[in-house]
Amino acid sequence: MARIAGVNIPTQKRVIIALQYIHGIGPKFAAEIMQKVNLPLERRVNQLTDQEVLQIREVIDRDYQVEGDLRREVSQNVKRLMDLGCYRGLRHRKGLPVRGQRTHTNARTRKGKAVAIAGKKKAT
Amino acid sequence: MTRSVWKGPFVDGYLLKKADASRASARSEVIKVWSRRSTILPQFVGLTFGVHNGHKHIPVLVSEEMVGHKFGEFSPTRTFHGHSSDKKAKKSR
Repeated sequence: MARIAGVNIPTQKRVIIALQYIHGIGPKFAAEIMQKVNLPLERRVNQLTDQEVLQIREVIDRDYQVEGDLRREVSQNVKRLMDLGCYRGLRHRKGLPVRGQRTHTNARTRKGKAVAIAGKKKAT
Repeated sequence: MTRSVWKGPFVDGYLLKKADASRASARSEVIKVWSRRSTILPQFVGLTFGVHNGHKHIPVLVSEEMVGHKFGEFSPTRTFHGHSSDKKAKKSR
């Protein structure tokens, strides 16, 4: 069991994969961390020594923004746009795509599940 | 893709003159702007601009936070008031 950066406890897997369970660490940052701590790629989490776990923790604390801090920053950025009253803020408020994507069709990730329109006739 | 720094921010030249003039006259009046593409500069803070949206000029009081955005971002060009609930269609069912 290794607890790194709060609540993340990925075991059994290779370290480079397990690190990506942390919000804010993807393939790129995971590879960077592996290099900074000098770990071989094939090392698994349950094979880590306490020393190495400590080192990983230190590197993440020092160089990366993860989990709560990252989430807070993102939501603050969004909030800034919304309070500003600019176009991007309006899109965030309405829960529509922000970057100019089409909304005639698709955009289901932002809009959520499709809602049936009452009284619309089906084409036969 | 972000704009190259060496070019500096894009602003239509006449806006600078207008902003200076309104500062000098020390009266708060709306400066009409058609140039939605212009960046909001620090010297515009505190002035009110009427940004054209293709139909009319939307008054925008420039605050410090808006610096770096474009005028067009604060003057929506589309109106959408939501779909009306179509009662007729409901009854016919």
